[in-house]
Amino acid sequence: MSTERVGIIGIGQSKFTARRDDASYPDLVREAVVLALNDAKLDLDDMQAVVYSLSPDAMVGIGNAERSGVDAVGARNKRFLRINTGGATGISSVAAAYYHVASGACDVVLTAGADKVGECGDSQTVLNKIWDPTYERQLPLGTINMLGMSAVRYMQHYGMTEEDMALVTVKNRRQAARNPNAHLRKIVTVEDVMASRYIAWPVKLLDCCPQSSGGGAMVLASEKYIKERKLEAVWITGLAHCSESYWLGDRMGKEPEADHADAFALGRACQRAYKMAGITDPAKQVHVAELYSPFSNTEFHAIDAAEFCKRGESVKLLREGQFELGGRIPVNPSGGTLCTNAIAVTAMIRAAEVALQVWGRAGEHQAKGARVGIASGNGGDHQFFGAIVIEA
Amino acid sequence: MPYKVQPGVIGCAIRPAITGQDRSLEEVQYDTTQQALADAGITIEDIDGIVVACNDQLDGRAISVMMSSGPVGGVDRDILSTPSGSEHAFILGALRVATAQFRTQLVVAWSPTEASSIPEAERLGADPYFHRRLPLDELSAHALQAAALQHTVPGVRDVAARVAAKNRRHGTFAYPDPPLRPQPGPARWPLEAGATTLPVTGCVAMILASPDFIAERGHRDVAWLRGMGWATEASFLGDRDLGTAPALEAAAQQAYGEAGITDPVAQFDVAEITDATGYSELLAYEALGLCGRKDWAARVGDGTFARDGRLPVNLSGGVQTFNPVFCTGLIRLAEIANQVRGHAGAHQHKGAKTGLAHAGSGFAMQYQAAVVFGREQGARA
Repeated sequence: MSTERVGIIGIGQSKFTARRDDASYPDLVREAVVLALNDAKLDLDDMQAVVYSLSPDAMVGIGNAERSGVDAVGARNKRFLRINTGGATGISSVAAAYYHVASGACDVVLTAGADKVGECGDSQTVLNKIWDPTYERQLPLGTINMLGMSAVRYMQHYGMTEEDMALVTVKNRRQAARNPNAHLRKIVTVEDVMASRYIAWPVKLLDCCPQSSGGGAMVLASEKYIKERKLEAVWITGLAHCSESYWLGDRMGKEPEADHADAFALGRACQRAYKMAGITDPAKQVHVAELYSPFSNTEFHAIDAAEFCKRGESVKLLREGQFELGGRIPVNPSGGTLCTNAIAVTAMIRAAEVALQVWGRAGEHQAKGARVGIASGNGGDHQFFGAIVIEA
Repeated sequence: MPYKVQPGVIGCAIRPAITGQDRSLEEVQYDTTQQALADAGITIEDIDGIVVACNDQLDGRAISVMMSSGPVGGVDRDILSTPSGSEHAFILGALRVATAQFRTQLVVAWSPTEASSIPEAERLGADPYFHRRLPLDELSAHALQAAALQHTVPGVRDVAARVAAKNRRHGTFAYPDPPLRPQPGPARWPLEAGATTLPVTGCVAMILASPDFIAERGHRDVAWLRGMGWATEASFLGDRDLGTAPALEAAAQQAYGEAGITDPVAQFDVAEITDATGYSELLAYEALGLCGRKDWAARVGDGTFARDGRLPVNLSGGVQTFNPVFCTGLIRLAEIANQVRGHAGAHQHKGAKTGLAHAGSGFAMQYQAAVVFGREQGARA
């Protein structure tokens, strides 16, 4: 692999909320772009290419809605393409932008997008359409009952309880309360979570992410570009994606290769990203993590997949507070996907938040002394996984 | 060439018109992937990463890439998706190989016709307030582009008709026994009935590899990537002059700069242009530096771009012959890669060493790409 690094030099994100009646969809994209460019101290004219981050078209109600964002990202007559790997789209877009630079094609690239999930009517109605129309769509599947089935299997395999799931929500809400961009910032208790209504057993309302609206953008550049202009940067040192089967039933047999309780392909992606970054002992070498976990139970198997502990041990360690801000490896110090989910950019925000952490710019939710972090994204029916290692 | 390493195409499978109901879309993807792997003489185990392109509206699924994990071999592999255009899947695959972090990439795109109304699916791509209720679909956008050209270029109607006829004639040589007979599209003023071709189901796959992989496996028939450019125009049609193609000019500039192309007609042996209409091909001639509009009538008239002309364009028959809407762009790239590899079959242009592929997609070719392939590694055209 090349020794020349790719750096992150600008980050922009909205203050996420349920609705943004003041801004159209392209307006939200532009909002994040302006913030990222200001952060990088660059102009739209400096951007040599744009990677557009947008998951299902149906979420914004326009087919190939990236076309309507062209001017919002200043891409007219420039290199432009869109990425969609479902919920993983944001991290896949960062990866695609990375490849633009690492290949030598470009020196500086913008990746950006936005979502209005809070204004789409009902995201689960849209997300039901990700499944096979003949066999699975009519069940009806949604991402909540899909990951409810994962929770049941995780309970069976590793002894997770509903109270353990509640602890994740409590932790992440407490951390989101320190993050001014997070959508759900109200602190809750285990009792609050346990008293909330079931959505898809054992997942309760407060175990679920919100439907958020807002934008995200990042500027990536080559090491040469960064050094010549004496820019501030943090560095992408490892990245990888991995996919599982489309068919949920293939993950829930007697001895599936990729059990739906776990995040098999996330584990593979993390392993490959660590290898590229030269990380051999993640539990000791990684200081902070933003792991895409839209439902409380999924944070456990994400921690397992990131190899911060043995598989299933995350439940015990989370009870001990090891993944809290101030703990051994803070996980989702921003509040994570559980507190903010504007799907098209959620996984990008994971990378952006890790970048801010290792940069020492995370403000009230800064993990002290973080120099190495990992971000992840999940998409499809818990199928596409991406991981990126970012270092100061 | 700015890339860390130079990607080469070692395998292609082009299925521009799939007939019959005996294979599901998943099976079509599987068949096409296996055909490309066989063409490259490798197996799925040799593939490091995959980029697919598909369209949610045409597939009738949200996140339509999901279904492809199995058929294209994506399970336990690094797979990404570029729904903006089939040609974008090639671009991202090529960039990944060019990083030297991947040795191989599989690129796959498809375009089904099961939607009850493809124009309705296309209309969903128009903004909901102004354009959707026009109603705007791809045929309307092509018609608007034709009207813009008719307004500024006297006599262009007849020239465009001759271009379309040329390509359909090429198609009869490329497919002497066609899987299906191309069906003329409907009229939409000022496009007459038959100025476009009705959509068909298609699928295409390409295999890219790094120089070290190609050397290690001893591949000889390689289409080396010499240069590629891609760009977009604005979305709002009112913001565009549909009688010009500035994004394609930008894309050509990128590709030609990388490939060292200064005199495209002289330096290319063969070209494939996305010819949704004859007007599309004429606009591309100009933006790609093949022929300015004042010379369109003369060059089309003297057969410069015909199969026995100086620069044969669309020997495959182009979109005028088979129109698998969403994957027409990637098919143009695969056609030129095959020409340069000497694998183009019935429509092989003898001695083709350097070729140009153009992909245009979206309303009135919003997205544009130009890719230069050459037979010799490292050499400029």
